[in-house]
Amino acid sequence: MNAFRRLVQTLITLGTNSYLLFPFGGPVIYQGPLKAICHPGLNCYSCPAALLSCPVGAVQNFVAGLRYTQAGSLPPLGTMVLGYLGFIGTLVGRLPCGWLCPFGFLQDLLYLLPGRKLSLWPPLRYLKYVVLVVMVLLMPLVVVDRYGLGHPWFCKLLCPSGTLLGALPLLALKPALWETVGFYFWNKITLMVLILLASVPISRFFCRTLCPLGAFYGLFNRLTLIKLDYLAGNCVHCKACAKACPTGVVPYETQGSPECIMCLKCIDACHFHALDFGLRQYKEAPRRLTAPLPPGKNP
Amino acid sequence: MSRKAIWLLILFTLLFLIGVNTGDLEYLMNLGNTICLACIGVG
Repeated sequence: MNAFRRLVQTLITLGTNSYLLFPFGGPVIYQGPLKAICHPGLNCYSCPAALLSCPVGAVQNFVAGLRYTQAGSLPPLGTMVLGYLGFIGTLVGRLPCGWLCPFGFLQDLLYLLPGRKLSLWPPLRYLKYVVLVVMVLLMPLVVVDRYGLGHPWFCKLLCPSGTLLGALPLLALKPALWETVGFYFWNKITLMVLILLASVPISRFFCRTLCPLGAFYGLFNRLTLIKLDYLAGNCVHCKACAKACPTGVVPYETQGSPECIMCLKCIDACHFHALDFGLRQYKEAPRRLTAPLPPGKNP
Repeated sequence: MSRKAIWLLILFTLLFLIGVNTGDLEYLMNLGNTICLACIGVG
């Protein structure tokens, strides 16, 4: 299963970043109709090879434009992106993190590098919700210029995918842009290097601590159409699943954890068939009896 | 699948359709066709 996941991750990463004309006199970034579609994972739309838009960038730009009003027109509300991400989240939860996200794939590859492996300090997991609320939703709405236009603060302050796939290639292709970079660029470069370095000893460091997209998808992990089944009768609590999990979930203790990226490594690791992957069954709530019971019969 | 999930799917589908019909698609296309200066760290 893991080899199949690697294949999917490779194909998605290459397939959604397959605009290759930028070095040969074409536009510096792809400007076709596919940019109206968001990538389900974190993939900077300013990457010269990117075919799709970034969902987090799109949400921030929609929010940033809400207070910028032109006479006689309403700003676009961005409900399309919210609906798109919410639909994916409700169907499959954080599965895009495990299977489709190019930056998650990069972190998986970095974790394969040899060296001492560390576990994450658990409270850091909550930081990604702060990033989602503060940098993606509040700051673009509140911190606005005199025209009422906000900025995509997550892209500007933190996003390592934007730095790696967008900023560095663009600066290489258009050296004139070097004259415009300042504090924000060097801040982002520093954070990107730290995040990439932390991804070598700590599995999926960015996904677990800072990714706002993962935080959003994770909200739906308890409701998703597909789910991880735990068959308690087969489990011997050998913790093989917990050791294999890249996000530190203990599958036999918590089902539907917002940290689970549905990579299915735990199923591969379990030799006792205590874990399975399937569709969530709809369970109707037990109905109350309304007919009167015969005399002398207790319910 | 729980009833809550079905309602959420309906809600998100409606939100998606509202967005498509109120200009989100064109906005997103224009956005994606310009270089993101914030991503570079200009400022």
